[in-house]
Amino acid sequence: MITFENVSKFYDNQTALRKISFSVERGEMAFITGPSGSGKTTMLKLIYMAEKADEGRINVNDMELSQLRESDVPVLRKNIGIVFQDFRLLDNINVFENVAIALRIRGVDEREVKSKVFDALKLVSLRHKTDSYPTALSGGEQQRVAIARAIVSEPVIILADEPTGNVDPDTSAGIIRTFKEINARGTTILLATHNRELFKNSGKRVLKLDFGNFAGEEIG
Amino acid sequence: MSMSYSFRLAFQSIIRDKWVNLLAVLTIAAGLLFTAVTVLTVFNVNLITREIPKKFSVNVYLKENLQKQEIDNITATIKKEPSVENIKFIPKEDAWKELKSSLKNTEYILEGLNENPLPDTLEIKLKKDSINPDAVKKISTMLKQIKGVSEIEYGEKFLSSIYSLSLGIKTIGLTLIIIMSAGTLFVCYSTVKILFYRKNREIETYKFLGATKWFIRFPFLIEGATIGLCGGFLGLLGLLILYYFVLLKVGSTFPIFSSFVFPLNMSYLLPATGFVLGVIGAVIAIGRIRY
Repeated sequence: MITFENVSKFYDNQTALRKISFSVERGEMAFITGPSGSGKTTMLKLIYMAEKADEGRINVNDMELSQLRESDVPVLRKNIGIVFQDFRLLDNINVFENVAIALRIRGVDEREVKSKVFDALKLVSLRHKTDSYPTALSGGEQQRVAIARAIVSEPVIILADEPTGNVDPDTSAGIIRTFKEINARGTTILLATHNRELFKNSGKRVLKLDFGNFAGEEIG
Repeated sequence: MSMSYSFRLAFQSIIRDKWVNLLAVLTIAAGLLFTAVTVLTVFNVNLITREIPKKFSVNVYLKENLQKQEIDNITATIKKEPSVENIKFIPKEDAWKELKSSLKNTEYILEGLNENPLPDTLEIKLKKDSINPDAVKKISTMLKQIKGVSEIEYGEKFLSSIYSLSLGIKTIGLTLIIIMSAGTLFVCYSTVKILFYRKNREIETYKFLGATKWFIRFPFLIEGATIGLCGGFLGLLGLLILYYFVLLKVGSTFPIFSSFVFPLNMSYLLPATGFVLGVIGAVIAIGRIRY
């Protein structure tokens, strides 16, 4: 589903990723871990093409990213649900509309939008915050809205960048449980986190990064 | 993407950022109003100067004691000239009477003149496009060569002055219109750009979520068009108020203003220009969407 072959990424003279190779199978849930600045976010950005690799090959959902035309980038991204580290919620629209965007971009019928959004918000326990605006929510709630937006369109891949960065341990465990449920339906999930507690005893594969270098993998 | 969703997004955004949008509307309205006032002034001044040549004529003074047949022949020769609109024969007696009546209170000037010194005259009106110094000089040279013609008079200096004045007004007016339009375009573009610059992060988020270029662009274009259109209508309203003020208030003191004309096509040109400005501003401000 996701394959990196000798992928490198440089920013000016800094090396963000150096000859990274790994693959995540279809329907797998895996973690990327490493300290801050180790290249976790860059790795995710390369997958949804917010950044382009300087060296190597990346294949996502049978799409060779280096060969992808600009007009096909939205097609790639429609197959991916992303939980951004900074959430990227739109402050000018309410929670319902923020989640619904993902469906409207995909051209889902308006009659289906309502029920799908409510289901997604129920899954992250925010059904009661439908009409609230992001600025009125706590950091943890905003994060859960971002998760609802990522899962609502039932994408084949979910990428989550520090999805529990702003929540307490209980909510954190709840979020991971939600991801596991979604994964059980066959969705491929790649989670980037520096929090070891998240993948400890998860039984999932953990890819380790250390300042842009691949530092092996383990089972959490 | 449904159109209604794009319209909803656009109008939500207009209402949400109402103060910034109002500023943009006012800027466009003011810019268009200034340009329209310049256009209207130039248009009217040009209209007035265009009326003056209608009174212009070339006087052909005939030699003494010409027979009617000879005068008819001269008239026929002149009529063949394509730049001639019409010819009026003024007998010397009529000219003498007219001179006398025009000198009603200063008749003593004519004392001592025992007989009518004025010649028979052919008054020639030229076609509108032939009233310029070069063309008139050319026809005057041709007229002089006709047998029986004594002298030609057409107010050479007057024609040159009117022609220069008209040309000057056109040049200054056109320059003013270009400067005003460029200024308006720049101010409107800057305002709309600022408006959309604030939306950069929103646009980026849409891109990351898989939105196509048109899904992103369309609401912004609707927003830009609506702002431009509102600015255009507001500018038109301002222009109409100003026009009636000039016509009714200033016109009563200075009669020349009461003949000011308001071209009807201004009433759709102004909103249409606002619409185009808003769309162009939005297109430039959003820029090329790259993935």
